[in-house]
Amino acid sequence: MVKYSILLLFTVSLIFSCKNSSEKTEQVQKQEITLYTHRHYDSDKVIFEKFEQETGIKINVVKASADELIQKLESEGNQSPADLLLTVDAGRLVRAKNKGLLQSVDSKVLDSTIPSYLKDQENQWFGLTKRARIIAYSKERVKPEELTTYEALTESQWKNKILIRASSNIYNQSLLASIIANNGKTAAKTWAEDIVTNFARVPKGNDRDQIKAILAGEGDLAIVNTYYIGKLLNSKDPVEVNAANAVGLFFPNQDDRGTHINISGIGVTKHAPNKANAIKFMEYLVSKEVQEIFAETNYEYPVNPSANTSELLISWGNFKEDQLSLTKLGELNKAAVITFDEVAWDKGPNAQ
Amino acid sequence: MLNKLNRIRRDFNQWSLFTAAIGFFVAIPILTITVYLFDGVGDMWEHIVNYFLLEYIQNSIVLLIGTGILTTLLGTSSAWVISNYNFPLRSLLKWLLFLPLAIPSYILAYAYVGLLGNGGTLIGCLQTIGFSIQKIELMNIYGLIWVLSFSLFPYVYASSLAMFSSIPRSIRESSDLLGASNWRYLRSVAFPLASPAIISGLFLVFMEVLNDYGAAKYYGINTFTTGIFRTWTMLEDLQSAVYLSALLIVMVVIINSLVKWQRGSKSYAVKGSTDQLKSTDRIDLKGNKRLLVWTIIGMPILFGLILPLGQLFYWATLTYEKTFNIELLQIALQSFTIALVTTGLILLTSLALIYFSRWNHLKSLHFFKKVATIGYVIPGAIIGIGVIRSSQSFITFFDDVFSLEIGFIFYSSSVVLIYAYVFRFLAVVFHPLEANSLKVGKNISEASYLLNVGKIKTLFNIELPLLRTALLTSGILVFIDVLKELPLTLILKPYNVQTLAVKAYEYADDERVAEAALPALMLILTITISMAFISYLQKRDKLNI
Repeated sequence: MVKYSILLLFTVSLIFSCKNSSEKTEQVQKQEITLYTHRHYDSDKVIFEKFEQETGIKINVVKASADELIQKLESEGNQSPADLLLTVDAGRLVRAKNKGLLQSVDSKVLDSTIPSYLKDQENQWFGLTKRARIIAYSKERVKPEELTTYEALTESQWKNKILIRASSNIYNQSLLASIIANNGKTAAKTWAEDIVTNFARVPKGNDRDQIKAILAGEGDLAIVNTYYIGKLLNSKDPVEVNAANAVGLFFPNQDDRGTHINISGIGVTKHAPNKANAIKFMEYLVSKEVQEIFAETNYEYPVNPSANTSELLISWGNFKEDQLSLTKLGELNKAAVITFDEVAWDKGPNAQ
Repeated sequence: MLNKLNRIRRDFNQWSLFTAAIGFFVAIPILTITVYLFDGVGDMWEHIVNYFLLEYIQNSIVLLIGTGILTTLLGTSSAWVISNYNFPLRSLLKWLLFLPLAIPSYILAYAYVGLLGNGGTLIGCLQTIGFSIQKIELMNIYGLIWVLSFSLFPYVYASSLAMFSSIPRSIRESSDLLGASNWRYLRSVAFPLASPAIISGLFLVFMEVLNDYGAAKYYGINTFTTGIFRTWTMLEDLQSAVYLSALLIVMVVIINSLVKWQRGSKSYAVKGSTDQLKSTDRIDLKGNKRLLVWTIIGMPILFGLILPLGQLFYWATLTYEKTFNIELLQIALQSFTIALVTTGLILLTSLALIYFSRWNHLKSLHFFKKVATIGYVIPGAIIGIGVIRSSQSFITFFDDVFSLEIGFIFYSSSVVLIYAYVFRFLAVVFHPLEANSLKVGKNISEASYLLNVGKIKTLFNIELPLLRTALLTSGILVFIDVLKELPLTLILKPYNVQTLAVKAYEYADDERVAEAALPALMLILTITISMAFISYLQKRDKLNI
């Protein structure tokens, strides 16, 4: 009896999983697009559902890290079901473009909405939202007047004060890539070497952990992305809200090149089966209404200049952005990773 | 030469063919990866050797030794107590000790930081009762050893429990008659008898440790696996990543040969009447000894289960409004279905591989057994590449020869994912099953053959019923592994499939650990229910492990 019930259960699930797959092959004929994305915010889901309701075009979502998605696209070749690649930084889009995985898109809406430094020269990818990498400081122990630039963080007054995550993080890689692009390779390496000696501890945890460490007094300054502070402030966990309230935001380099920004961006894949609908979707994503959802629920800065930012973003004030071409970040990404390794970033202050 | 050919002709039978076919089919990903090795190291290799290689090796060895010692202590001590003593709540505790396996180690890693990190829940409790403590620093290699050990010790517990409980009464009685003390019996009889099982459990622990990605990455520890991901994705050097994987495999081969060397040519078949084969009665405990026993069992349950679960529940109460919906239930059902199908296929494949290769006399084919079970030690990401590349050639082949575009079937169904799971987790079932089939011994089967009963019939009527306990236990373990699996699922899952583990990871990776709590708890619940189901079956079967 037991034997048969197990067998039955097994057979039923086998049929179930087969049925599932045959169903999906039929759907290819319908109106739909397949999106490969590194973003996994609940706000995105809301946006996708709205798009489905308004246009009747169904969105199939595959979520994984950008690197894995790029590998997947490469392997699937011309039989890939993907129409769009959405990442959380420009570097990966540049890489996808260089591997020939994306195609140029001709869209008046995209051209007119997105500022040129936030998209690819050949229109292979487009920025959707901006994030600034800023300095969060302890309101208790640091006066904002003491802060100026990323470069000034290497000064000896910040010894044992700086908190930042490990070098494997793409936001750190892009920051260093921007410093390489602006100041040159040698200066960037010296900067990295010096800032490591000012670390309060071995780099660990994520951006939120750095802010929590300020509250705990482990360090005074943390280099983090803006929207994490928004998320902490709106967290349900009181520990996180306290941590966010203990820090102030400082946008560095306002008197020279501006604060380093990165984007979350999107491109149409080379072998997209539903190109027209994919473009329709991209145009939808940069519309004023959707851009405001990004700002309101995910605390990212919109790329569409006509979109209003949320109250929280307004309270942080306007700032000057580093308008370095984002393509540069992609090109210099590997150089940044190698530099991090050379200065033993992940081993922290005592290794040198 | 001629001699050799003759020998092959003599030894070859239909089972050789089956062994080779199954072995080859399962080994395709690793063979694909091996092909990469011939292209030489990549251009970042020197950089890796200069800055990382030594660290990878050192950290991996420290992790293996640390978790090895801690899991053996936790696993065998609790298994010993459960199998030998009677005390209140015993059957509940016996069962609870399996449950830490239900918590993925990266979730445990996050939960511990939530407990003991800055502003942690437990730290807060300690502060209110008057301790002036800011936090307990966990994000280092010792913290990682702690977290991994408490999430992985049930492997050792499960395998040694099965063994301790099946030591025949006659052995215990002989030992008592010869005047051996309890301690002496444990040291000189029970422990050596159970050591193959303990070591096969430890082997699984080691493989999980070498494969851990999420926890090591979060705690900032550079290991081979984080190194492979780093080399592949950040340094864009797949070649060197494959070479790092090859080095990792070398490490596993060394561990594996240590296991073999330990097992030696020992054979553990036991003869005797049914009464003598029954295991010993458990001793009733009273007073202080009960307290001791509860401490031994309470430690792993407290740190591996209650504290982290408490933290997850706390987070879940903060976030359930946002994360609980019908979709989450659908995801749970999908996870369950996929894991069940995979488990069935893995059990079948393991049995086929074990018995076909036993019936086949061609020694050289044993090579396939090794290759097919090596998937357990190769990082999910690398298997993913292997599987994608080999299915790619398969698709191109169909396109070229039959002009059939079958790509969509591959990329939009779970076929590839399930196949990859089989390759990845075969060892989880294969090793304990093989060890247990050795324990059953060849005598019974040979007696059956002498009575002119066919091999297949003997397998189904005699060998499988004897292996039922082992099949169920290893089945549970692999089922849990599939439910928890992460990197491979991330790469290979089609767009219409979502698993609880992936959902939890997506939240955690997005730095929303509190939101990850609910899917993680659903995962733990799914696993708990399936374990309860199997334990119910065992009871009805009057099986006793």
